[in-house]
Amino acid sequence: MKEKKVVEIRHLLKDYGTKGFQTRVLKGIDLEIFQNDFIAIMGPSGSGKTTLLNILSSIDKPTQGSVMLDGQDITKISNRELSRLRREKIGFVFQDYNLLDTMTLQDNIALPLSLSGVPAKECIQRTTAIAKSFGLEEHLTKYPYQLSGGQKQRGATSRALITNPEIIFADEPTGALDSKSSRDLLECLKMVNDQKKATILMVTHDAFCASYAKDVYILSDGMIQCKLSKGADRREFYDRIIDMQASMGGDFA
Amino acid sequence: MSTLKLAMQNFRSSVKNYLALIISMSFTILILLNFQNVIYSDSFAVLGTRNKDYVDTIIQMICVVLGCFMFFFIWYSTNVFLTKRKKEIGIYVFMGLSNQKIGKLYMLESLMTGLAALVIGIGSGMLVSQLFQMILLAISDIAVEIKFRFDIKPVIITAVVYLAIYLIFVVKGYVSIVRSSVLDMVSASRQNEYVKQKNWILIVKAIAGTVVLAAGYYMALKKSGQEMLLAAVAAVVLVIAGVYLLFGGLIPLFFQGLKRKKTFLYKGQRTLWVNNLIFRIRKNYRTYAMTSVLMLCSVTALAAGFAIKIRYDNIVHFRNTYTFQLLTNQKGLGTTAEELIKKDNEIAYQSEITMLQLDEGLFEDQEFRTLRAILPYSQLKQLAKDTGLEFSLPEPGVDEEIDMENMPLLSLASADQNAVVKINGKEFRQIAQTEVPYLGYLQESVSYYVVNDRVYNELLPLGQQLYTYNYRISDIYNFRESLDELDTITSNTAENYTARVAIDPKDSEVEWMKVTYSVCIFMFMVFILASGCILFMKVYNDAFEEQERYRVLQKIGIGREMLGGAIARELSMTYAMPFVVMAVSSYFSVHALGNVMNTDLLAVNVVSVVVILLFSVLCYVLSVLVYRKLLNLDIKK
Repeated sequence: MKEKKVVEIRHLLKDYGTKGFQTRVLKGIDLEIFQNDFIAIMGPSGSGKTTLLNILSSIDKPTQGSVMLDGQDITKISNRELSRLRREKIGFVFQDYNLLDTMTLQDNIALPLSLSGVPAKECIQRTTAIAKSFGLEEHLTKYPYQLSGGQKQRGATSRALITNPEIIFADEPTGALDSKSSRDLLECLKMVNDQKKATILMVTHDAFCASYAKDVYILSDGMIQCKLSKGADRREFYDRIIDMQASMGGDFA
Repeated sequence: MSTLKLAMQNFRSSVKNYLALIISMSFTILILLNFQNVIYSDSFAVLGTRNKDYVDTIIQMICVVLGCFMFFFIWYSTNVFLTKRKKEIGIYVFMGLSNQKIGKLYMLESLMTGLAALVIGIGSGMLVSQLFQMILLAISDIAVEIKFRFDIKPVIITAVVYLAIYLIFVVKGYVSIVRSSVLDMVSASRQNEYVKQKNWILIVKAIAGTVVLAAGYYMALKKSGQEMLLAAVAAVVLVIAGVYLLFGGLIPLFFQGLKRKKTFLYKGQRTLWVNNLIFRIRKNYRTYAMTSVLMLCSVTALAAGFAIKIRYDNIVHFRNTYTFQLLTNQKGLGTTAEELIKKDNEIAYQSEITMLQLDEGLFEDQEFRTLRAILPYSQLKQLAKDTGLEFSLPEPGVDEEIDMENMPLLSLASADQNAVVKINGKEFRQIAQTEVPYLGYLQESVSYYVVNDRVYNELLPLGQQLYTYNYRISDIYNFRESLDELDTITSNTAENYTARVAIDPKDSEVEWMKVTYSVCIFMFMVFILASGCILFMKVYNDAFEEQERYRVLQKIGIGREMLGGAIARELSMTYAMPFVVMAVSSYFSVHALGNVMNTDLLAVNVVSVVVILLFSVLCYVLSVLVYRKLLNLDIKK
C-alpha cells in the first residue's frame, strides 16, 4: 500500500516581472510527494528549481495553481497560519546553513521547539538525542564559528528535524561543503529517510548528491522533463543521472 | 567617475540610512550653539556685570562639558558609521581601488555627512535660540524683553569646535581604512567571533565592579568635614568606573549564568533574546555604561538646580526678614525710628535686641570673620516672640554658647558640634547652631554668640553695648519712601554711632543663582535627550545588523509576532539595565549633593527618576517600532 500523501502540486504557474514584460518561470508543474519519499530536483540554471522550492516552502506565492501540504492549500492560508505551518510541518536546510551565530549549537537546534512551547526538559532531551544521531553530541556547547562547515550543516539539519516535520526542504544542502562533508551529510539524510521515515525534497545541481535520493526529477525550462528512479545500486543510479544530464545538454551549474 | 562624484552619489543614496547620525550630531551642535549664544547675547546684562560674569562662567563650564560630550558622541557615531560602511567599501577593493583612494572616498562622504549635520545644527540652532533664551529667562524668573539679535561669534566658535572634533575622527577613520586589510573590510560586518568571553575575566570584572561601585557609594554618603569635596570627587570617579565594570562584568556574567540554565532558557522566546543580549552586551556595554552615567548626570544636574533654587529662596527669605535694621549705641532710638517709618509705611513686625561688641583681641581666633558680637539668651527669646520666628534653642549654661549661622550656598565643612570658643581666656562650648534669621541681614555679616544672661552681664565691662532695632514693613517694595526720613538719624561720630541697613527685595546680588537653576534644568533635559539619542542610535544600528538573522528566523518559519515579542523583550532589557543602575546610583549622588548643599533632595530625586523612566519608555516604544519596521521583511522577496 502506498504511503500517506504529504504534498500535492497541481498546475503550478509562476510569472515574474511587471505587466507586459512577464517571464513564465514555472510552466505548469504537477507533483505528488508521499511520506518517506526522498526526492531530488535537478535542473540547469534558470530552470525554476529555486522558484519551485520557494513556493513549496511557502516563501513565495504562485501565480496560479495549488500546493496542498498535509491537506491544506498553502497558497490560500493566512500569514499566521503559514508561520505555524512552517514551524511545525516543514523543516528547512539551506545551502549556507543559516545557523544563528549568537547562540550555541544546542540552542540553535532547540530554538524551534522552545518557540513552539515544548517544555524545557523535553527540549533538552530531544536535542541531545538528535545531536547524537548526527554525531554532534560533543559540539553542542560550541558556537557556529567554532564548527566546520559539515558540522554546521548537520546541525542545521538537526534543527530542521527536531520538530518532526512532515517534510524537509533542502536547498543545495551540500553546496558549500567539501566532498567528505557532503557524503557525511547525505548519509545522514539517507539515514533519517530510511530509519525515521522522514520525507525529503532536495534541490541540487550535483548528480552525486542527487544519487542519494530515491527519485530524481529533472526540471528544465519550467517543466518537469523526466523522472528517474533509483534501483538497487546508488552508483548505477549516479551513472544514469549523468547520462541523462549529458543527453539533455545545457548548463547544469 | 571621479572620487568626488562617486562620494556625492554614495552620500545621496545613503542619506536616509544616516539620517539618525546626522540628526543626532546636529542636535549636539544646536545645544552648544545655544549655550554659546547666551554668553554673547545681552539678555542677562540686566542682572548687572557681576551676575553676568557668574552666569558666563557657569555657561562656559557647561560648554566645556558639552564639548566633551560632543567629542565622545562624535567618536561613537563616526565609529558606527565606519563599521557600517566598511563592508560596502570593501567591494571597491575588488574593483581595484587602492586603500588610499577608498580612504579618500570615505573622508569625502563623512565630510558631507558632517557638513550636513553642521548646516542643520547651526540653522535650527539659530532658529530656536530666541526661544531658548526666552525659556531660560522665564524659568529664571527674569523679565527682559529679548530682541532678535544675530551674532556671528557663537556660530563660529561652535562650528570650529565641532569641525575640529569631527575632523579628528574623519582622519582617524581614514587612517583605519588605509591600514586595514581587504579581508577586514569585506568581513567587517560578520565579525561575530568571540561571542563568549572568558569566564574568569568576567568574574574579575564583576568583583572589581561591585567593590568599586560600593566604594563610590560609600564615599558619596561620607560626611567627612573638610574632605567632603575630595570624597565627592572620589565618589564620582569610582561610580563611573564601577558602572563600566558592572556592565562589562557582572551583568554579562548574570546573563551567561541564565543562559547556562537550559530549563530557564528553553521557554518561549528566551532562547532568542537572552542569547542576543549576551551577544550584544559585549559590544554594547560601553554604550550602556555611558548612557547610565549620562542619565545619572542628568538626575544630579536637576537635583543641583533644585538645591540651588531652594537655597536661593532661603537666602532671599533670610535677607528679607527685616526691611530696615538700625545698629546704634543710642539706647531708645527705636521709638524715633518707628515713628519715622510709620510716616510712609506700615510696620508688619519689629524687634530689638542689645548686643555686646567685644574687642577682637579677646577672642582666640579660629574664624575668618572679624565682626563678632555676644547676645543675651533671654533677649533673643523675646525677639523671637516679637517677630514670630520659631525658637527652640536650649538655654546655654555658664560655659556654653549657641552659634548663629547665616545661610551659605554650599557648606563643604560639616557642622562641628563640639566647637569651643575662647572669650577672654574662658572656654565656651558650642551646644547648638541655628540658621533662623533672628537678626536678618546682620546675621550674614556678623558672627553672633548667644550666651546665658549671667555670662552676658559678666562680659559687659569688656566691650561696648550696641542696640539693634529691626523693622519689617508690610509693603517691602515701598521701602525707598522711608529712606530719607531714616537717613536723618544715621550718624557716624564717636558719641553717636548709628548705622542703617535697608533691604531691597529686588536686589540682584544673588540673581545668578536663578540662572544657574534654569541652566541646570536644561542640562537635565540635554543629558536625558543625549542618553536617549545614544541608546536609540545603538538600537537602530543593531537592527541593521540583525536583518540577516531575522531573515533566517523567518525562513525557518518563526512568525513575526513571535519575533516581535523577542525584540520587545531584548530591547526592554537594553533600556532597563542602564535605567536601574542609574536609579540606584542617583540615590547616592543626590544624597551627597544634599549633604553639601544642606538640603533634602529625595523628592527631586524621585521625580527626576520618574521623568527619565517615562522618557525611557517612550524611547523604548519608539525603538521597538523602528526595529520591527527595519526587520519586517516581507515573506516575498
